[in-house]
Amino acid sequence: MAGQAQIDMRELHWLLDIVQCLDVGVLVMDRNFRIEVWNSFMENHSGLGADQVQGRSLFELFPEIDRVWLERKVGTVLRLGTRAFSLWQQRPYLLRFETYRPITGQADFMYQNLTIMPLAAAGREVEHVCLMIYDATEAAEAQLREG
Amino acid sequence: MLPLLVCDDSTMARKQLIRALPPEWPVSITQASHGEEAMTAIRQGLGQVVLLDLTMPVMDGYQVLAQVREEGHACRILVVSGDIQDEARRRVAELGALDFIRKPATPEELRETLERLGLFDHQAAAEAPPPRTEADFKVGFRDALREVSNVAMGRAAALLAEELGVFIQLPVPAVNLFEASELHMALADANRGERLSAVCQGFVGEAIAGEALLLFHDSEVADIAHLLGLRPGGDEATSEMLLDLASIIIGACLAGIAEQLDIRFSQGHPQLLGQHARSIDELIHFNGARWRKTLAVEISYALEDRAVRFDLLLLFTEASVPRLTAKIQYLME
Repeated sequence: MAGQAQIDMRELHWLLDIVQCLDVGVLVMDRNFRIEVWNSFMENHSGLGADQVQGRSLFELFPEIDRVWLERKVGTVLRLGTRAFSLWQQRPYLLRFETYRPITGQADFMYQNLTIMPLAAAGREVEHVCLMIYDATEAAEAQLREG
Repeated sequence: MLPLLVCDDSTMARKQLIRALPPEWPVSITQASHGEEAMTAIRQGLGQVVLLDLTMPVMDGYQVLAQVREEGHACRILVVSGDIQDEARRRVAELGALDFIRKPATPEELRETLERLGLFDHQAAAEAPPPRTEADFKVGFRDALREVSNVAMGRAAALLAEELGVFIQLPVPAVNLFEASELHMALADANRGERLSAVCQGFVGEAIAGEALLLFHDSEVADIAHLLGLRPGGDEATSEMLLDLASIIIGACLAGIAEQLDIRFSQGHPQLLGQHARSIDELIHFNGARWRKTLAVEISYALEDRAVRFDLLLLFTEASVPRLTAKIQYLME
């Protein structure tokens, strides 16, 4: 049993490392938009550390977010337990971040695709959602150049 | 008092090293900022024990070791270097260095090494500890960033040397604040009229952001493939090889900087900016509308006995400079 528990702990550490290192923004918040998880991608691109955002409202921290739009999207995810998406073609970004290539890149900001995923506690209603922010700048730049 | 000579081109490195010495070690310290100054001090008997850096302008550490041997001075030399290639260790041992300490040296490591070599006796020294007045160091930001880069590029070189099975000649990194047009000129210089390929990788961490740019000369790509044991392939095979090499060099360099400054960088995917470009303009489009100045660290790795050179540029955004300065300030305190 102890051995099993150890392996699980080790895997848990790996998983945490992976979430931290992912080149994707990962944030978890409750139904009131209070932030609970904020990975390194979010820290590094927003300039705000996890300790600075913990328990705070996403809308307070980022007043530029279209609140009505995001509340509707997240509301559907909480209610139905299904995922929701947003693409850079429709809405260039959720949070205005600098691009990864501030010197040689041509874009003025990071184009983002967004996935909103329900997180259910065992057998209970969905109380939290996970937002995943994907950097779509390269694809956007290429397509905008062609178009 | 034992005459001790500390020779390093970086003021920060000398400061770090002198601070890391056992405080009760009774030594009188002389400093030298390159090999020629070191030789002058040694001839005056100021260097019975020498802590010697390898990568220096004017006269490097290898040349000092050779010169000391030729002139027959009885000094005991320890190399303290960021160049941690196995071959570097072997060469300095062959030239008579007593030991090799990896930069930045920790107090424990220094103490252990000095005791092992019989240069410092803790028991004897404890009786009369002479208070050492700390020399007044003024370490500039560029000097400090150059030294941080120097240690980081040494780590990258050690990995590269292992991968390619050759000795890498390390230069002193250049640190400059460039205007967009000046950076363009610096790159055109590196171009030297040859065809180029370039890999670029963005990084950001704690409000420090920038891009690492690695330039390859096309005429050297076949040599590189040969060293890696690959048969020269088409453009796709070549681009994968360049991306792999760039990942090693950029990854190790950024990891070295991040570790010293206690940051964790997020890194984007490396991008091949282009192959066989005739000019820098074909390869890189600087977004002049968005930035005016960039802090550039230029490192040029040369493979010994081969006409192969990689130019690595770490370009930090102007907005990163205050944070970088704060981080480096912290490191120096």
